[in-house]
Amino acid sequence: MKSEMIVLVRINPIRCRGHAICVLLFSEGIELDRWGYGRVTEATAKDRRSIRRAYRAAAACPNGAVEVVQLDSTGAQQPPLKPPLRIVHEQ
Amino acid sequence: MTDSCVLAERGSDWSVDVQIGGVGDNGTWLLAGPPPKGTGETLVEHLKRLGPSDRWLSPSALRAVVRDSGLRGRGGGGFPLARKLETALLAPGEPILIVNASESEPASRKDATLCLHRPHLVLDGAAMAAAIIGSTEVVIYMHQGSTDVYGALQRALAERQAAQLADPVWRMLMGPGRYVAGEASAIANRLEGGEALPSFSPHPMAFRGPSGRPTVVNNCETVAQLALLVRMGTVAWRNGGTPSSPGPQLLTLVGAVADSEIVVEVVGSATVGQVLGHVGVCAPPGAVLVGGYAGTWLKGGLAWCTPLDRAALERVGASPGCGLVGVLPHGACGLSETAHLVSYLAGESAGQCGPCAHGLPALARHMEAIARGSYRQRSQVRLRSLGDAIFGAGACAHPDGVVRLIRSAFEAFDEDVQHHLDHRRCPGSKNPPTFFVPKPRRRS
Repeated sequence: MKSEMIVLVRINPIRCRGHAICVLLFSEGIELDRWGYGRVTEATAKDRRSIRRAYRAAAACPNGAVEVVQLDSTGAQQPPLKPPLRIVHEQ
Repeated sequence: MTDSCVLAERGSDWSVDVQIGGVGDNGTWLLAGPPPKGTGETLVEHLKRLGPSDRWLSPSALRAVVRDSGLRGRGGGGFPLARKLETALLAPGEPILIVNASESEPASRKDATLCLHRPHLVLDGAAMAAAIIGSTEVVIYMHQGSTDVYGALQRALAERQAAQLADPVWRMLMGPGRYVAGEASAIANRLEGGEALPSFSPHPMAFRGPSGRPTVVNNCETVAQLALLVRMGTVAWRNGGTPSSPGPQLLTLVGAVADSEIVVEVVGSATVGQVLGHVGVCAPPGAVLVGGYAGTWLKGGLAWCTPLDRAALERVGASPGCGLVGVLPHGACGLSETAHLVSYLAGESAGQCGPCAHGLPALARHMEAIARGSYRQRSQVRLRSLGDAIFGAGACAHPDGVVRLIRSAFEAFDEDVQHHLDHRRCPGSKNPPTFFVPKPRRRS
C-alpha cells in the first residue's frame, strides 16, 4: 500500500520568502536558487526517510510555501495528508 | 481598407483559398458584416446576417461541436477549449464562466475590434459556453481604461435585454490596466474581490479556481469563434484554417506596417508574407515578432515564408500566441528593441515570486548593456544562466515569456550580436523604438 504511494513536494513561489529552512530539512529535494529562494530539484520523495524529511520541511516553512501531496498509483490525490509528527512516531 | 485580397497561392489542397481582410471586408468570417462605423453591429443586423444563434442545440450537442472543432484558446496559451469545458463539467461545484476582454497585450487590438464592431458575436459565444458548462452567469472582464469596449458591450447588452433573448445573467468586472492583470488566475482573484494578481495553484483553474468552484476563463475571440462555429458547422469552420490551427484567425499587425495597429482576419492557410503583403509590405522585413511582446523573434526571411499555423510555427520555435505580428524594419537594432520590450515586461512583473521580481530587472539590465554596447562574450553566458534560473520558477508564465523572447532574440539577431561585439553598437540602436509600450507605472 505504502509503496504504491507517490509523494510529491512542491514550492509555491508566491509564498516563498527565502527562509531556507526547507533546504536544511529536505536537502535531497530542494536547493536554493541564486536569490535564495527554494527550488525543487527532486519532486518525488522516494524512501521512507525522505518522505518524513519532506513533511518536516513543509511543516517548518513559516509561510506555508512547501506543499507535500500524496498521489496513489492512479495519480489521484489522497486528501488526508498525514501530519509529520505522526510519521515520526510510527517508526 | 480596400477589398480583401484573394490570393491564389494555396497552403495545401485541403484548405480554402486564402482570404485576408479587415472589419466588413468581403471574404472574412468573423469580421464580416457592416463596415466599421461609430457603433458596433446592432442585434437586428446581427440576427439578419447570421440567423438566430442555435438555441435548439442542446448543451450536449454543443459539447460535441466544440470537441470535433478542435478550437483552441486565442488569448495566447492556445489551450483546447473542449478540454477546459470538460474539466469544468467533471469538477465539483457550479462552474463560473469568465470572458476575458481585457487584452492586456499592449499592442494587440483584435479583442477590442471584435467587441467594438461585432459585440453580439462575442456575447452569443459566451452564452453558448455558459450553456455547455451549465452556468447561469457570465462575467465579462475588462480593463478600467477601455471605456470604448465597455460602452459597446453595454449597448449590445441593452439591446439583448430589450429583445428578451434567453441569455445568462451578464456581469461586468473591471481590473487594473496592467499586463499581468489579464492572466487567468489574476482575473479569478479579482472576481473574488482580491487584487488582480496571478496565484499559484496545483489544480487547473477549470477544475478548481480561487473561489473553490471550477473557473473557466476564455478569451473573447475564442467565444466569438464558438458562436461562428456553431452556426457554420464543424467541417466548414475548420476549413477556415489549417489542421493544426482550425478556423479563421484574427491578427494584429504592428510595427513598421502603419501608423497604428491593423487588425486583419485570415481565412485559410496564409504565410506571414501573404498577410504583410495585404497591408502593403512587399519584401521580407528585418525581423518579425510573432505571438505577442513575450513572443518569439523570427528572421524576416524565415518568417516571410512561414505559415501562420500552430504546427509550422512550432517547427521554427514560435507559437501563434495572441495573434500579434510585429514588423521590425531593416536597419533597426533588434537587440535595442528587445531591451526596450524586456524593460517594459520587467516593470510589469507583479513582484510576487522572487525569481521574477529579482530576475526580470536583472535581465533587463543585461539586455540594455548589450544594446548599449558595453558587451562582452562573458555577459552572454551570464545572461543565459540567469535565464535558465528564471525559466519555470514563477507561479505564472510571465517570466518564462520574457526568457523566451530573449532566447529567440539571440537566435534571430545573431549578426547584430556579433556586430555589437565587434563595434560596441550598431547604427540602428540610435533610432527610437519601433514597438509602442505603455508608460512605466509607479510601483505601489
